[in-house]
Amino acid sequence: MKKFLALLLSLAMLFAMAACGDSGSNTQEPTGNNQGSTDDGGEETGNKTIKVGMICIGDENDQGYTYNFIRGVDATTEHLAQRGIDVEWVFKYNILEDSSCEEANIELAEEGCQIIINNSFGFEPYMLKVAPDYPEITFIACTNQASAVDDLENTHNAFANIYEGRYLAGVAAGMKMQEMIDSGEITADQAKIGYVGAFSFAEVISGFTAYYLGAKSVCPSVSMEVQFVGSWSDATEEGNAASALADRGCIMISQHSDNTTPATTAQSKGVFHTGYNNDMISVAPEASIIGTRIDWSVYFDYAIETIVNGEPLDQDWCHGMDAGAVVMTPLNEDIAAAGTAEKLAEVEEAIRSGELQVFDTSTFTVDGQEVTSCLAIDTDGDFVADSEEAVFDGAFHESYFQSAPYFTLQIDGIEWLNDAY
Amino acid sequence: MNPETKTPLVRLAKREAMEPWKAWCIRIGSILLALVLGGLLIAALGKNPLAAYGTILDGSLGRASALRQTAKIAIPLLGTALAIAPCFKMRFWNIGAEGQITAGAIAASYFALFWVDKVPSALLLVIMGLSGALAGGLWALIPAFFKARWNTNETLFTLMMNYIIIGVVRWLQGGPWEGRPGSQIIPQFDSAACLPKVFGVHCGWIIVLILVVFIYIYMRYTKHGYEIAVIGDSVNTARYAGMNVGRVIMRTMFLSGAISGLVGFIVASGADNTLHDGVAAGVGFTAITVAWLAQLNPFAMIAISGMLAILSKGADTLHTRMDVPASISDIITGMLLFCMLGCEFFINYRLIFRGGKSSPEAPDGKEAVKHA
Repeated sequence: MKKFLALLLSLAMLFAMAACGDSGSNTQEPTGNNQGSTDDGGEETGNKTIKVGMICIGDENDQGYTYNFIRGVDATTEHLAQRGIDVEWVFKYNILEDSSCEEANIELAEEGCQIIINNSFGFEPYMLKVAPDYPEITFIACTNQASAVDDLENTHNAFANIYEGRYLAGVAAGMKMQEMIDSGEITADQAKIGYVGAFSFAEVISGFTAYYLGAKSVCPSVSMEVQFVGSWSDATEEGNAASALADRGCIMISQHSDNTTPATTAQSKGVFHTGYNNDMISVAPEASIIGTRIDWSVYFDYAIETIVNGEPLDQDWCHGMDAGAVVMTPLNEDIAAAGTAEKLAEVEEAIRSGELQVFDTSTFTVDGQEVTSCLAIDTDGDFVADSEEAVFDGAFHESYFQSAPYFTLQIDGIEWLNDAY
Repeated sequence: MNPETKTPLVRLAKREAMEPWKAWCIRIGSILLALVLGGLLIAALGKNPLAAYGTILDGSLGRASALRQTAKIAIPLLGTALAIAPCFKMRFWNIGAEGQITAGAIAASYFALFWVDKVPSALLLVIMGLSGALAGGLWALIPAFFKARWNTNETLFTLMMNYIIIGVVRWLQGGPWEGRPGSQIIPQFDSAACLPKVFGVHCGWIIVLILVVFIYIYMRYTKHGYEIAVIGDSVNTARYAGMNVGRVIMRTMFLSGAISGLVGFIVASGADNTLHDGVAAGVGFTAITVAWLAQLNPFAMIAISGMLAILSKGADTLHTRMDVPASISDIITGMLLFCMLGCEFFINYRLIFRGGKSSPEAPDGKEAVKHA
């Protein structure tokens, strides 16, 4: 019995010691905790402070989608500090697209965030359950589209015209293939692109169509095959799809999926590649020519500054190269075709000025016919577009009526290998 | 033969029943030990452990909104622990609750999506609940039938059934029930198909609390409960007593699956308001821990599932406020469960060291306690 008591006592002591031992570091904590409550006190330094919550589907380790958001966050913090705004970011990483996303939104709202940004398409329905309870907080769902119809003042959407960057990447790819044709390395009909897509989702379709049109503008004989992998992020399947496409004779691989495996697979198969979200030259120096990504800091700068200044924020924000929201990653000069950089600068300028329309209806056909009419927006919730004519002035106007892409036409020259997804 | 050389270094012996107060001291001690270990881990990350534990409590219980979130996490855990309790009592290792929850959610979602215009809300919810229970029960009946008929291994069978039904949801998500083309997302249910809220939390909590009482009575005071207990102790005794073992197995599994299916309905209709492949979210497995820790006592399950929910929600706040990675909280939860389950072992068994003075007849098991 004595031994038993001794054991209990020693356990209690151990616990007490552990508790005391830690009190030394206690002093650091309160400063960290108080930051939230001294938001208003920021005036003393002349800087305004704002607390912004960021809900991410992944974390920086994905080196793709979420990593690209975090780059935007870091840049915005820097930009706004120069303009006298201190941004305190609160992150929620690896959140699923289910009710845990609702919890993350509540959590951030309760922690005093004035703006809450949801970075994945599937987060929006859960964000919308929380937004009505916190009318003073600004909720932003990136890449989604409900703010126009949800009757809430405090919900917002944002996206960038990433198809412009895709088009440019396609130009770089097309120039490479045309150079190979001109040098006799391949025949004209061997200029085939393999595209690894996540799902047959408007954002993906719009992206690979723009890419194809970019390539076709400089390499008229190009064709394209698309393999859907059925996941936004599945490194193995993306690699398998790239491998299968290379085996089918594709000499250029591109992707709308989160991992770098299509790039590394392209390199091991001896074909070329253009990337997305991130510069992939470091992982595939002999294959990756260029990539494109959204620079989210452009939107974050705008949104946060607008809220800090108490001005109204656009419900639906979408910009592209005109605002620098879509950027190209560095060009791999070692493997790119001669003159690529100059050509890209020229095309970029044409897009920026509006002189060049990516989805110019004279450059593509659907079932052999030029497209003269296509509706853009679904207003009654049945997921079939029923309003707003997207085709006018000789082009399909993508992301014109809302930021989220709505181009879903299957144009001639692009073969969908599987449409199960 | 020299007994000294033949004795292994450590032997285990079943312990005589320990006085309850002593057993509780050991249990509390094990929790404290887990907290100290977890504190060391937090300290190793350069954070203050006391502040971290304070944050966990404050984040999970400190505010009404936090309390509601915590309750929302506890509901499916408790419901599913109740569901698997009868199976485990029978020593039928149903680790397919995950799939049974999903099956229930699918059936409930069907009615939520396609019957919403046909019947009034209250009736729709009843139909959803019943169909969920039926689907979960039928999904559980398949392995039970094979067990009863051909004595197949229920552990593997129920586990494999999970992956099949989750695959079915993936197909529905990308195929017939998909909302926006290519999105892989089933649209949110109409509000008529969502469980109403009581005190800010969907009323699933009332359903599971009723289930607690039901399972308690069922297991303790009914003939069915008695049959389950007898089969759990000895199948042969049950046969000798004239019980139809196969029938009891199937009946119990149906009940277990039905409750899991009901949980699936609660999660889909109350929490997510839609169906997706992660609808069960690992609850089917965590609930096994809840059931074991509670020693299959329905009322103890309320406390255990509450504790896990506090840890889970608190860890969320820890992540937000102190920038502690969310996975650290999983480690702390793991330590806690490990210590708590481990201490039950030392309550039931004691270690005897070679050369030690103690004999199996040691008066009050002092030696063994020392190593607890």
